[in-house]
Amino acid sequence: MNFELNDEQRALQASLARMLGDRYGFEKRRTYAASAAGHDEGTWHEMGGLGLTALLVPEVHGGFGGGARDLLPVMQELGAALSLEPFLPSSVLGTTALGLAADVATQETLLPALAAGEERLAWAHDEAAGRHAPWSIETRAEPRGEGWALDGRKSNVLGAGLARHFVVSARVSGRGGEPDGCALFLADSGAAGLGCRTFRLVDDTPAGELDLRGVVARPLGDPADGAQARAAIEGTLAMGIAAVCADMVGAMQSAFRLAMDYLNTRKQFGRLIGENQALRHRAADMLVSLELARSMAIAAAVAVDQSQGDDARRDLHRAKLSVGRHARALAHAAIQLHGGIGMTEEYAVGHYLRRIHVLDQLFGDGEAHADRLAELA
Amino acid sequence: MDLELTSAQRTFRDDVRAFVAARLPAEIRERLRAGHPPRKEDTVTWQRILNERGWAAPHWPRKYGGAELGQMERLILMDELYRAPAPLPQVFNVTMLGPVLIEFGTPAQCDYFLPRLANLDLWFCQGFSEPGSGSDLASLRTAARRDDDHYIVNGQKIWTTTAHWADWVFALVRTNSEGRKQEGISFLLIDLKTPGITIRPIRSIDGEHHLNEVFFDEVRVPASNLVGEENRGWACAKFLLGNERTGIANVGLCRERLDYARELAGCVTQGGPRLVDDPSLRREFALLEAEIRALEVTNYRFLLTPSAQQALPAFASVLKLKGVELQQDINALLGRLAGPAGLERRSADDLAHGPLTARYFYSRAASIYGGTSEVQKDILAKAIVG
Repeated sequence: MNFELNDEQRALQASLARMLGDRYGFEKRRTYAASAAGHDEGTWHEMGGLGLTALLVPEVHGGFGGGARDLLPVMQELGAALSLEPFLPSSVLGTTALGLAADVATQETLLPALAAGEERLAWAHDEAAGRHAPWSIETRAEPRGEGWALDGRKSNVLGAGLARHFVVSARVSGRGGEPDGCALFLADSGAAGLGCRTFRLVDDTPAGELDLRGVVARPLGDPADGAQARAAIEGTLAMGIAAVCADMVGAMQSAFRLAMDYLNTRKQFGRLIGENQALRHRAADMLVSLELARSMAIAAAVAVDQSQGDDARRDLHRAKLSVGRHARALAHAAIQLHGGIGMTEEYAVGHYLRRIHVLDQLFGDGEAHADRLAELA
Repeated sequence: MDLELTSAQRTFRDDVRAFVAARLPAEIRERLRAGHPPRKEDTVTWQRILNERGWAAPHWPRKYGGAELGQMERLILMDELYRAPAPLPQVFNVTMLGPVLIEFGTPAQCDYFLPRLANLDLWFCQGFSEPGSGSDLASLRTAARRDDDHYIVNGQKIWTTTAHWADWVFALVRTNSEGRKQEGISFLLIDLKTPGITIRPIRSIDGEHHLNEVFFDEVRVPASNLVGEENRGWACAKFLLGNERTGIANVGLCRERLDYARELAGCVTQGGPRLVDDPSLRREFALLEAEIRALEVTNYRFLLTPSAQQALPAFASVLKLKGVELQQDINALLGRLAGPAGLERRSADDLAHGPLTARYFYSRAASIYGGTSEVQKDILAKAIVG
């Protein structure tokens, strides 16, 4: 076993941390959140410059060919800084889906541009009626002329307003809830019949809802090859789970650090509040949560990179379940240790709860993963 | 021992229930049911309707507009309001300030303020906490110096809920900085229109404006607005905080929110089946229900039984600790039930969509305001361990 980052991973993490330190302090982040775009284009370009947008792109297409373990320290930094950049939808989900599903010609067109940070994708998979149920895909795809036409609605599409293309899951056969019969398609964000209502999530993340009415889209791979599409969707969701687990760990680290600083500066009754045993014990509980979550984020990343069989799937479910629970508990405690100031929007600690709540609800919440674990047992 | 209402109490409950059903505007009911907090006009409208029956200030003397209700009737009334759900009478006016004036105020203060407090002609807010004085309230520094027949107030209050809606604030101010810190505090009524007062909004993590900072810069307050004696304001504050205990458990609120969670789980599907068909969710409902019932019976037992109160004078801390825990658990559950569909940030005015995720975030304040859960535990620990 080995739990160390390698030299490249460590160097990339340090560069990213430095860049975010310069560009993504809490006050700056507030201005990005309040801006029309909802993120910072300059930071996005710098991320491209650091090679982050190329991290998961295969080497033959100009990327680094990295995996979930390379993503881990990156997502931690982005979570710690409460990043609003469309890295998860484009550089993680869209890129992974394209790598797993698309034919070589499509990959040759898009992956180098993705690696360079010039192309942006969004992952349009979730549908409102599905909630946390996997494969609850009702969006239909039907052959039309030389291409395919999509009809349906997609909810909580992260970075929807920032994407040039959408990777859309749709059903070519079967009924909602069945893992078979789905395929992935690439739709141009300006395509006729594609309505995109953009909004922010409760943690300020830019997102949107797609309304697809006869949208002509290009299939990624052969729509008749259900097994390949299923593997691509599963692989993309697995990468997403590993990514948000790491993001939550980063958010936990920051919330933890803020709370510990506060314990050592705030005075009541003539002494530091950190001298109170009740609060010291709460801090210790937070540390336990943080360490367990850190471990499970690693387990999730390893499970994705060595994705073989039920053991890997189990670790992914366990990670999403346990990181979410520990992250929520830690965020609650961090607010409580701050008292009133922890409840204000002008102060960072409450934003970590907002982010953790959103991430906990993506790719299936804890209960949903507990159910899937129980089915595997 | 029995846990039944008497026939008179049942009659009272039916009377309240019929009154609420007949008079509560449907629009207010629906907004509260969806989880929105009452707007100022909701509370004003409804409190004036309640005031027709003396139920706006149910425990006050009749001569000041109250109904002189006993403890059990007060609890029944509050349960029925939560059950509707209807706004509760404005707490700063009715639960906090009114009884302080009745106990410590001059006849002139009582005659002027109490009817206006009951009818919400004046909206009061509470000026206790300061940036440096939260749990350690007695360390407060907002100062009032005597200048002939006025006090001149300088300083700052924080976490002032509804100050932006308020006409007046009742504030603890320091009139003497020598000796024990509790002994130099006075209780002042301050008209927020007085020159020198600035109110600055504080947005909370739910994105909404509930809280404020209130700044005082050479604010002239007539000395006749002093409640009780100068430098004895701590007695008023302790009396006020002790009076909060009737509603402190919020049993009715917990029950109504859990009831709503059940209703929601019956409507929402997850890829086919309804959420309420999930046995583990039903078990979670059952566990919460059992805890609510335990809190309810405990609430009745302490509030109605002098011997129980004598055995544990700090019982209000038991009620607050458990009530807060349940409120937070139920709000977290509602946030989970809102699920992915609840992740979109919506304006508080968007009444077509429930605010359950935002309410979950704001529910984290319940273990902070009105004495943090740590302070409540300290109070209990002192009572039992010494």
